[in-house]
Amino acid sequence: MKTSKMCAIFSNQHEYSQLKPLTDERALSTLYFAGKYRLMDFALSSIVNAGINHIYTLISQEKVRSYLDHLGGGKEWGLDTIGAYEYLDFYQNLMQRRARGEEYFNDLILFLKTCKMPYTVFIGNKMAANFDLQAILHFHQSNGGHITTVFKRVEKGNLASDDHAFILSDGNVVVDQDEAIDLSEEGPYNLATNVYVMDTDWLIHQLEKAQKSSLAYDVAERLAYLSVKEKASAYEYTGYLRNIHDVNSYYQANMDMLDKDKRDSLLYGSQKIITRIRNEVGTYYDKDSDVKSTLIATGCKVKGEVKNCVVSRRVGFAKDSTTKNSVIMANCRIKSGADVEYAILDKNVVVEKGVTVKGKPDTPVVIKKGTVVDKDFVLE
Amino acid sequence: MSTKMLGLILAGGKGTRLGKLTANQAKPAVPFGGRYRIIDFPLSNCANSGVRNVGVITQYEPLKLNNHIGNGSSWGLDGLNSSATILQPYTDNGGSKWFEGTAHAIYQNIDYIDSQDPEYVLILSGDHIYKMDYADMLEQHEKNHASLTVAVIDVPWDEAPRFGIMNTDSSGRIIEFEEKPAEPKSNHASMGIYIFNWKRLREVLTAGFATADDMVDFGKNVIPYYLKSDERVFSYQFSGYWKDVGTIDSLWQANMEFLDGSDGLDLDDRSWRIYSKNTIDAPQMITEDAEVKNSMIVDGCYIDGKIEHSIISANVDVQKGSEIVDSVIMPGAKIGKNVKIHKAIVGENAIIGSNSVVAEEDGKIAVVGNGEKIGVLPNENK
Repeated sequence: MKTSKMCAIFSNQHEYSQLKPLTDERALSTLYFAGKYRLMDFALSSIVNAGINHIYTLISQEKVRSYLDHLGGGKEWGLDTIGAYEYLDFYQNLMQRRARGEEYFNDLILFLKTCKMPYTVFIGNKMAANFDLQAILHFHQSNGGHITTVFKRVEKGNLASDDHAFILSDGNVVVDQDEAIDLSEEGPYNLATNVYVMDTDWLIHQLEKAQKSSLAYDVAERLAYLSVKEKASAYEYTGYLRNIHDVNSYYQANMDMLDKDKRDSLLYGSQKIITRIRNEVGTYYDKDSDVKSTLIATGCKVKGEVKNCVVSRRVGFAKDSTTKNSVIMANCRIKSGADVEYAILDKNVVVEKGVTVKGKPDTPVVIKKGTVVDKDFVLE
Repeated sequence: MSTKMLGLILAGGKGTRLGKLTANQAKPAVPFGGRYRIIDFPLSNCANSGVRNVGVITQYEPLKLNNHIGNGSSWGLDGLNSSATILQPYTDNGGSKWFEGTAHAIYQNIDYIDSQDPEYVLILSGDHIYKMDYADMLEQHEKNHASLTVAVIDVPWDEAPRFGIMNTDSSGRIIEFEEKPAEPKSNHASMGIYIFNWKRLREVLTAGFATADDMVDFGKNVIPYYLKSDERVFSYQFSGYWKDVGTIDSLWQANMEFLDGSDGLDLDDRSWRIYSKNTIDAPQMITEDAEVKNSMIVDGCYIDGKIEHSIISANVDVQKGSEIVDSVIMPGAKIGKNVKIHKAIVGENAIIGSNSVVAEEDGKIAVVGNGEKIGVLPNENK
């Protein structure tokens, strides 16, 4: 086990109304992804794969259940062992303490002081990516600054309205930043991936300064600002990355996993993505099944046609059903004669016999968790 | 804290009849059904029956088995007042303690059993595929005020001469035991599953080894002794699926029965899950050119060929143009391009080079050993 010099701040702050109804009952962090994962697995695996086991996690107090249900005691990620230190806080808590005029970063500062790690990594929750935080730390150490930022060159379509894009000098030093909402050209832009590696002492000082002047409680925003002010060195992430912020980006990211290169980059890199263990039996393919170009988890029973799909655990595809170009979450039932295309079926959805659910390549239909679809639903 | 019933799994057997598949691992560690190893069945049965403390007695090639069981966390045996303990032979002032038989293995671990202070001990084999509620068996054991309860299953009469047969009276009390009788009087076969009152068994084993009336084996020595000395020995009738997977033929057959669902094991039943050590692999990928029928596939697989009526275990790679029929491919095997595999068991991490054929004639089952390489050129060996 490599011992780390870093502790981590894992911010699950991002939520987007454009992801509804997928995030009605669950946090963005716990969205199903690539069949058996939840989105938070990517950031959390990046953290623990770097040997980090001191983690300060910020979540929303409105979406606690899905988060805690998935993480459990943190056993799969090796966070249930001696020496691991986890601290959970609600970002609403920071917001309320700030409103009351209290020192809202004190718990975070106490965490950073308790860890006694020379470096701290900050990582957000919405990027499907596989970051090598040790490599970023080495880059940070060799550049000698207080803060290192991580960027990915993306087209405009991979930016959410609240993202930041960095303007970099020739030597990849941050000279300015733009709010994505102000950008009109196609790009490419240097997307701030919400990953920062910092000197812990410097960060503590910045947090103390910020709360003294009652600045924003949003740590990510503060770090983007400080990257410009400090002329931070920027580390270019070149692996697969998809910025999940609306239904379309979520759908496209899942479909990306059917492409070998993208799948290899995200799921089969040198760092394994860790997720919660369930004990499902293998997936069974019946003699009448016809499955092509599909990424599928265990516990499924396939008797129908399934093409270009990403399928989660325990899904049943009945005989004579057709499912194409869709994302199917856990425990769905596609009954016989049903026809599903360009759709996202949330958990426990049932498509009744002979029913058609059809969206379009750019606008997939989203069926809410637990819905029993008994009438055709076709997007014109 | 004392334990009401301590589980003891005999997992030291070599499994000679499984040939290459147990050349470097104990039989209970042999993979089964895509995602399991054989020992997952007794271990999960223990966990599901509320047997919270389990000793696993190992001897032959235990590395993989030890690694698989770990601290028992995969079966929830790492909780409060729960434990999974690997029991290896060891030496002390009395000399070495290699296990010479099933009962001798228990005798050599008296210190461990005493430390758990059980009222009953549940003795299990590590090489049977079945689902069984040991709590129900214990209830019957207590109701009968039995000293020993032996689980029995009715086997076809023509197969009875291969088993240890228990002849019972109308109350289920065992009055006679015949090991592999030429002319069986009943078809109640012993499943090798016993509940003993520990205090009495301890006396019998200790006295036996002290007086050279050696109690080496349960079937050969202990059960005949119990019957001779008029102990209350009862049968517990079991009627579900039970398979001893001790030979290549029975291992292949059990996998095929599992695939076809004809075994009635119903591993989808979430009230009696079979747990296993899970390695957290990516979902399986079925490509554009793949063709999968009547088969079961698990995580981490990449399927680019044709799979028919086969079980493909975790992290298996099947390249384009290959064809796998009526076969069991064990975890981590790599199958090259245009390979033909018919009615075979391919061992863990085996590598089958492109254009190879794995098949036997006369309906026999072809076997590729663990880590074996077939048709792999030296410069291809990545």
